[in-house]
Amino acid sequence: MNEALITTLLVVALFLLLGSGVWIGLALAGVAWIGMELFSSRPAGDAMAVTIWGSASSWTLTALPLFVWMGEILFRTRLSEDMFRGLAPWLERIPGRLLHTNIIGCTIFAAVSGSSAATCATIGKMTLPELKRRGYPEDITIGTLAGAGTLGLLIPPSIIMIVYGVTADVSIAQLFIAGVLPGVLLATLFSGYIVIWALVHPDAIPKIVERTTLLQKLHASRHLLPVIMLIALVLGSIYVGVATATEAAAFGVLGALLLSWTQGSLNRATLFSSLMGATSLYCMIALILSGAAFLTLAMGYIGLPRHLAEWIGGLGLSPFVLIIALTGFYTVLGCFLDGISMVVLTMGVILPTVEKAGIDLLWFGVFIVLVVEMAQITPPVGFNLFVLQGMTGKQITWIARHTVPMFLLMAAAVLLIWFVPDIITFLPRQMKIG
Amino acid sequence: MRHTLDRLYNAAGVLAALFLVGTLLMVVLGVTGRLLHFHVPGTDSYAGYCMAAAGFLALAYTLQRGEHIRVTLLIEHLGPGVCRALELWSLGVATVLSGAFAYYSIRLSFQSWDFNDISTGNDATPLWLPQLSMAFGVTILFIAFVDNFVGELKGQRIRKAPAEAMHNE
Repeated sequence: MNEALITTLLVVALFLLLGSGVWIGLALAGVAWIGMELFSSRPAGDAMAVTIWGSASSWTLTALPLFVWMGEILFRTRLSEDMFRGLAPWLERIPGRLLHTNIIGCTIFAAVSGSSAATCATIGKMTLPELKRRGYPEDITIGTLAGAGTLGLLIPPSIIMIVYGVTADVSIAQLFIAGVLPGVLLATLFSGYIVIWALVHPDAIPKIVERTTLLQKLHASRHLLPVIMLIALVLGSIYVGVATATEAAAFGVLGALLLSWTQGSLNRATLFSSLMGATSLYCMIALILSGAAFLTLAMGYIGLPRHLAEWIGGLGLSPFVLIIALTGFYTVLGCFLDGISMVVLTMGVILPTVEKAGIDLLWFGVFIVLVVEMAQITPPVGFNLFVLQGMTGKQITWIARHTVPMFLLMAAAVLLIWFVPDIITFLPRQMKIG
Repeated sequence: MRHTLDRLYNAAGVLAALFLVGTLLMVVLGVTGRLLHFHVPGTDSYAGYCMAAAGFLALAYTLQRGEHIRVTLLIEHLGPGVCRALELWSLGVATVLSGAFAYYSIRLSFQSWDFNDISTGNDATPLWLPQLSMAFGVTILFIAFVDNFVGELKGQRIRKAPAEAMHNE
């Protein structure tokens, strides 16, 4: 048998294992095992144990469980209520008024949370009932929330950026800072869409109930202070270079605990449930990462990444066509896989191709996160859709239909970062340390 | 028996959570040391070991909570008979793989002890000690998969939909 045939068989085996419901991390390890047996004389079992141990205990990864824990603490506070109270008075005069709480709320919360589904759930648990009570149309409320929730991935801290940074050996601190401007850009696009939508449908937005004075607005803003201080602590410490991503995550956990304590929502029960929730969530990710680490090792022996890079290099595609093709590829893959699995599964194979095409790996990291965001809102497997289905009881197809405009805006953002790469690379260049 | 197994999974889960707190403490200790100019050697490595222990020891606990991700697209849309067969197949595969993983994890820890393997970092820890967390954690995961496989075979297994698992990623 030649190598191409065996490689094809391995890919088929992978999809069979995944599709039949074998736990993703184990499926990756299983395929890696077969690959090792076929392509190398190194004992597969021992190689697996050493590789997985090395990746599971590496210092760079320690930011991940800490950011997960921070998110779990904040999920159990009154942070989203406070943010709604602080934001709402400022949005009276903008077309689409309180609909913007979805976007701005998610943008702010994304800056303290590493995950998209958590952002969506935390902001939604406040804005969905409030907007419904005030008579805002449900379709646009849910659609914009689904889209804006994905900002949790792009705006740092970001779990998926840590995963990418560890896999691709790119500085996590730089990735974090690189995500800021694209995140703000995307939020602006979403808000712009709401403004235009509101101008086209002037009757759909409920009338203003009460007007507030500037003084009242400023007074209401005090509710935003805790979250802003937390953002300054986490992102500020990374940006000015006093802390690594891991240290910033530790500050974040302590800050979140402090915030929860001052709000009075910290007690033995919430502390315990946040800790157990974070542990099992981290463990879920760790199992996938373990399988992926072993698969990446096996890929090295199989030579698939090198062959793919040579093959695609031989096609003479321009980098732009390559990026468009990858966008399509990930969007399709995202219909079946979650974001983290998607990144760890493909990085070991695709990175050599990307590097060979002369694409900057920092830029590519933000690109990947943006594409994974799009995958978060495409059915049948889209985590934000699942979250919103659980929260609203609507059909997943209904939610997905009303999220289409957000999906298109994200696609537009991909084009924008391609033509203006400075959106990504400007801030990291200003950082104090590399 | 049921009771004992559940207690084993939960105890390992709680121990994992303590190691997560340990990860935090190690990172905080490292930062404090740098700011206040005292040096505790090896906090970085210890944080890594704690994180590994948190991940491995929680494996079975997380499985029982239904939070390990799998593609359920097919399983959900097929008839009960096919669904059961698929469930047995994926549990079987998982049992074999976790069994092999457990065996080689124990072997790794034993070899580190046998060859007196010391960490190359400035913590100079004998590596078999932190590696025990992987050996124990994966072994408990293997036990949990055997447990689930037997339960599915007898028709007693309760399939858990990941209710809270959704606020991840």
